[in-house]
Amino acid sequence: MDRFKILLLPSVSLAFGILLLMLITFFLNSWPIFEREGLAIYTSNIWRASEIPEEEFYGILAAIYGTVYTSLIAILIATPISIGLAVFVVDIAPRKIRELIVISTDIMAGLPTILYGIWGIFVLAPILSNFMVFLHDSFPFIPLFSYRNPTGYSFLTAGILLAIMVTPFATALIREAYAAIPPIYREGAHSLALTRYEATKLLLGYIKPAILAGILLAFGRAVGETVAVSLVIGNSFNIHPSLFAPGYTISSLIANQFGNAFAYSYMPHALFAAGLALFFIGLAVNLAGVLVLRRWRYA
Amino acid sequence: MKVRIGAMALLGILAVVAFLGCVSEPTKPAEQKPVEQTKQVKIYGSGASFPAPQMENWISEFSKVNKNIIVEYASKGSGAGINDFKNKLVHFACTDPPAKESEWREFEKIGKPLQFPFIVGAVVVVYNLPVEDLRLDGETLAKIFMGEIEYWDSEEIKRLNPDAKLPHEKIMVIHRSDSSGTTEVFTTYLSMVSKEFKERVGAGKLVDWPVDKLGRGFGGKGNEGVSAMVKQTPNSIAYVELAYALHEKFKMVSIKNADGYFVKANSETIAAAVSASSAFVPDPFEGYKEDPKMFLNAKGKNSYPIVSFSHVLLWSSYPKDEAEAIKTFWKWVLTEGDKHIVEGYVAVPKEVADLALKAVESIRGE
Repeated sequence: MDRFKILLLPSVSLAFGILLLMLITFFLNSWPIFEREGLAIYTSNIWRASEIPEEEFYGILAAIYGTVYTSLIAILIATPISIGLAVFVVDIAPRKIRELIVISTDIMAGLPTILYGIWGIFVLAPILSNFMVFLHDSFPFIPLFSYRNPTGYSFLTAGILLAIMVTPFATALIREAYAAIPPIYREGAHSLALTRYEATKLLLGYIKPAILAGILLAFGRAVGETVAVSLVIGNSFNIHPSLFAPGYTISSLIANQFGNAFAYSYMPHALFAAGLALFFIGLAVNLAGVLVLRRWRYA
Repeated sequence: MKVRIGAMALLGILAVVAFLGCVSEPTKPAEQKPVEQTKQVKIYGSGASFPAPQMENWISEFSKVNKNIIVEYASKGSGAGINDFKNKLVHFACTDPPAKESEWREFEKIGKPLQFPFIVGAVVVVYNLPVEDLRLDGETLAKIFMGEIEYWDSEEIKRLNPDAKLPHEKIMVIHRSDSSGTTEVFTTYLSMVSKEFKERVGAGKLVDWPVDKLGRGFGGKGNEGVSAMVKQTPNSIAYVELAYALHEKFKMVSIKNADGYFVKANSETIAAAVSASSAFVPDPFEGYKEDPKMFLNAKGKNSYPIVSFSHVLLWSSYPKDEAEAIKTFWKWVLTEGDKHIVEGYVAVPKEVADLALKAVESIRGE
C-alpha cells in the first residue's frame, strides 16, 4: 500500500466507524423497547408514559406518518422552485440580480432554524389558517381538505415551512450542476434551433443525478428538522389524510420528550427506537435514490 | 455519491461532537468551585414551570439581601426536574405532585432526599372565545378534554351557560406535550370527578389524550408553549397554572366546586380550598407519603377545586459551602417568602412551613 492511501485511511475509517458506532448505539439503546413491545413501537399510535413501568406503552406510528407526510410536502414544493431558480440564475438573470439571488439563498440556507420556527408560528400559521378554512369550506369533499382547522398548526404549515427551509439548499446544488454543464452542450442545443424551453429541458436532462441528489439532501434535512416543525405542527398524536390536520414528526417528538424521558423506564428506549426509524427512513430514501441513479446510468 | 458520503461523515462527526457537547455541558454542582476571593456560591435548581414565576420573584428579592449567594432556576417541567435531581445535575428540584414512592427509592440509592411543599397554586382552565364568564363543571371538562364534546354550542355546555352566545365551532383542546406536574394535577382532578376519564385516560404527568386522535388535540411545550398556542388559536381551551393565565390576561373558566358553586381561581378561593381541607403533610424525610389529592375538589362555598402544592426536593447533605447557601436560601423562602408572593399563588400554611423549616435546618455540610 502506498503512503498516500495510508494517509487517507483515518478519514475513511472515521466516516464508517462513526456511522457504525451510531447505529450500534441506537440499536442497543432501543433493544429493551423491542423486547417489550415488538414492532408495536412502529405500528401503533399510543404515547402512554407512567411512573409505573408496567403501564408504559409507546407507539410512534403517528410520528412516522407525520415525518413522511411533511417531508413529502416539503420536497414537492421545493423541487420545482429550486429547479426554476437554478435555471433563472444561470441562464436568464442579469449579473446583478443573479448575485443578489445567490447571496440571499445562501444566507437563507445558513439561517438558524429557530428563526424559521418563530416566523412560522407568528406569520405563516395565521395566514395559512384563513386559507385552510376557506379551502375546507369550499371543497369539503376533497380528502386533502377534509379537516377544518382554524388554528394553523398542521401538516401543511410544517411542510411549507420545511419547503422554505430546504429550497435554498436544493437550489445551491442544482445551480452548481447546471452551471457546470460544458458550454458545448449549450451551444449544441441552440445550434439545433431548439427553443429556449426545449434547450433547457434537454440540458436539465444531463443533470438529473444532481437534481436527485439535491432532492434527497433536501428530504434528509426536512426529515431531521426539530424545533421549527415542533412549533407549527401541533404536537398531536394524530393520523389524518388531510393536509390541514395537526400531527407530530419523529424529530419534533424527540425534541419534545427527551428532556423528561429519563424520568420514565422505557421512554428513552422508545425515543432511541424513534431515532432508529428516522435512520431507516433516511436509508430507504437514499437507497431509492441510488436505484434510480443506476437505472438512468444504464438507460 | 462521494460528495454525499463526505457530507454524511461530516454530519456524523458534527452530531457526535454536538452530542458530546450536550453530555458534558451541564454544570455538576460537585465540580463547582466557589470563587475564593468573593466567597460567592451558586446554587442551581430546575423543574416545574408551575412555581417558576414565584421562584423568579423570590430569587430576585433574595439576591438583594444575600449578594454572595446566586440562585438559578430553570423551568423545564417536573419530570425533567426530577431527572436532573436524580443525576445530581442540580442542587434542588421543584415538582408539583409529590415524588412517587418508586422515584423516592431511586433517590435513596444515591443519597437521603427530603421533600416539602413550599407554595400553593392553582391550575386554571383558560379559553379563547368571545364569551365572558364561561361556566363548566368537572364532568363536562372531562368530556371536553377527552374529545367527547365536539362543539362549543353542544347541549352539555349550553346547559351550564344558558345566557352565553356560544358559537357553532369545534373545540380545539390544547394540552402539554412535555411531562408536566400541571398535567398531573389537572388529570388527577378530572379522574376524581369523572369515572370515565379515570378509566380511559387516568392521571399522570404525561397522558395519552384521546382528543389527539380526533384531530382536535394540540400539544404545547411548557406553560409558556401552551399559553402561546391559546393566544393564537380561536375556539381553544387549555389548562395552565394560574400565574400564567393572569400574566397573559386569559379568560378563565368558572369551575363548579364540590358544593355546587361556580368559582374562579384567585388568592381567596385558593386559600379557602386550603383551609377547607386538612393539610396533612408527612415528615419531609418521607415526602412520598403525601396525598396529591389533598386540596383537590375541596368542600366549601368559596373553594376553588383545582388547587395544589408545589414541592421542592433537596438532599440532606451537600458539600459545606453549598449546604450553607442552600439552607440560607430555603430558610429565607420559608420565613420571609410570604412577604413576596406573586399574584396567583398562596403561601403554605404556617404549620407546614414550620415542619419544612425543621427539615431545612437538618441539612448538613460535609
